[in-house]
Amino acid sequence: MTALPRRIIKETQRLMQEPVPGISAVPDESNARYFHVIVTGPEDSPFEGGLFKLELFLPEDYPMSAPKVRFITKIYHPNIDRLGRICLDILKDKWSPALQIRTVLLSIQALLSAPNPDDPLANDVAELWKVNEVEAIRNAKEWTRRYAMDN
Amino acid sequence: MSEEEEYDSDMDYSDNDCGYADYYNVADDCDVEIVDPSKMDVEYFVFECLTVEEVERLLNESVESLSNSVQITPSLAKVLLHSHKWCVQDIVLKYRGDSASLLVVSKIKPSRPPAPQTSTHHACDVCMLSHEADNCCGLACGHLFCNLCWSMHFEVQIAQGISTGIACMAQNCEVLAPEDFVLNLLSRPKLREKYQQFAFCDYVQSHPELRFCPGPNCQVVVRAKEPCAKRVICTACSTVFCCKHDFCWMCLGDWKTHGSEYYECSRFKENPNIAQESVLVQAREALKKYLHYYERFEYQQAQLEAEIENLSWKVERAETTHRGELENQMDVAEKRRGTLLKDFLKA
Repeated sequence: MTALPRRIIKETQRLMQEPVPGISAVPDESNARYFHVIVTGPEDSPFEGGLFKLELFLPEDYPMSAPKVRFITKIYHPNIDRLGRICLDILKDKWSPALQIRTVLLSIQALLSAPNPDDPLANDVAELWKVNEVEAIRNAKEWTRRYAMDN
Repeated sequence: MSEEEEYDSDMDYSDNDCGYADYYNVADDCDVEIVDPSKMDVEYFVFECLTVEEVERLLNESVESLSNSVQITPSLAKVLLHSHKWCVQDIVLKYRGDSASLLVVSKIKPSRPPAPQTSTHHACDVCMLSHEADNCCGLACGHLFCNLCWSMHFEVQIAQGISTGIACMAQNCEVLAPEDFVLNLLSRPKLREKYQQFAFCDYVQSHPELRFCPGPNCQVVVRAKEPCAKRVICTACSTVFCCKHDFCWMCLGDWKTHGSEYYECSRFKENPNIAQESVLVQAREALKKYLHYYERFEYQQAQLEAEIENLSWKVERAETTHRGELENQMDVAEKRRGTLLKDFLKA
């Protein structure tokens, strides 16, 4: 394995020294490109009070290519599917090498506050979110309580 | 009868043996020997098959013409031509009207003017290292990054097949990297070659008169001044294809009008009558094809009858010595016409 680029070292140091509120990202002991992430559910969202585990991997050509991020904790959200894959433009075609791990995780946290059922990844969830938002939010709260609390 | 045979026989109209010349001259009802090919073959239209070098020459003519008329670099002229369907006059008009907004819309300049950079050192936002200003560069948007990061960015983009669409590395910045900027920072010859190949493909695809031959491993580009849904036969690999780029099976309309709905035809969804219309169109086409062959079938059958009558008359009148030969001729004529008629029935 090639030496870790200076940028990854710097980003990791900064993540440890000045953590983003509500987000923790810790590199794996055996792989400095693999991060164990925990995002807290934003206030005033159906995910409030939940702790969501994610995994983040920096590919070989990072930062020219976007990091690979996935939810490990089950979540009821129109832009996150059953496998935890996330539909977010900056992880795909809107990626810029000037973005960082912290900006990506902040965007994911923002996605929890503002679900976008018009650009769905989980179709059944998005459909319910559009036709019966009250019930969809009830489901999201229920899933948060069941899967993202007391673990 | 296969497409090719039909094509051949249409081309052979000067051959009297075939009977087509008589047929068409009678149909045209005129004495002029040269028949307008567009009337002879409904699929006829003017196109030429070009090699890569010929296409490059053609594109370069447009690039030169634009860069001379509005005084911009050939690289920027390419960006403009690519985003404006290679229409030089259109770009020149827009440039003379409002050059600033044309350059913004074409992603050559940013919508807001960049902040001036004066320091001798610059921290690259991508590798997070400090570099001398000489080792950094940027596009018209003023976002500076070090040369090494730029070339790595290009490498990753080219590996994904992106060339003319490579943008600035800054977040939310849409300014495109023109060809000279990319090539200045790419040193590996293989990568430069790949970049130029991808860009060439993009240019051909954005040019309304050009179309790649879809034949496997065929390098030919077909040029038609008025691309329409007509048959093209590649001179290099004989692949037969339709010159219109793509059409929808549902409504037979241009695929480009279908937007991002790849899996269903929105025109059909909005107006289910289109399906009926399309069935009608198909039925009409089928009828046209039937009539096309029927007319020829009928003509050949009449000819056969006339020939047999003519020959049997001759046979009756002939002396016994010539009889065998004439009967043989009659037999041959009958067989020949018979085969022809069977062919029409198959078609």
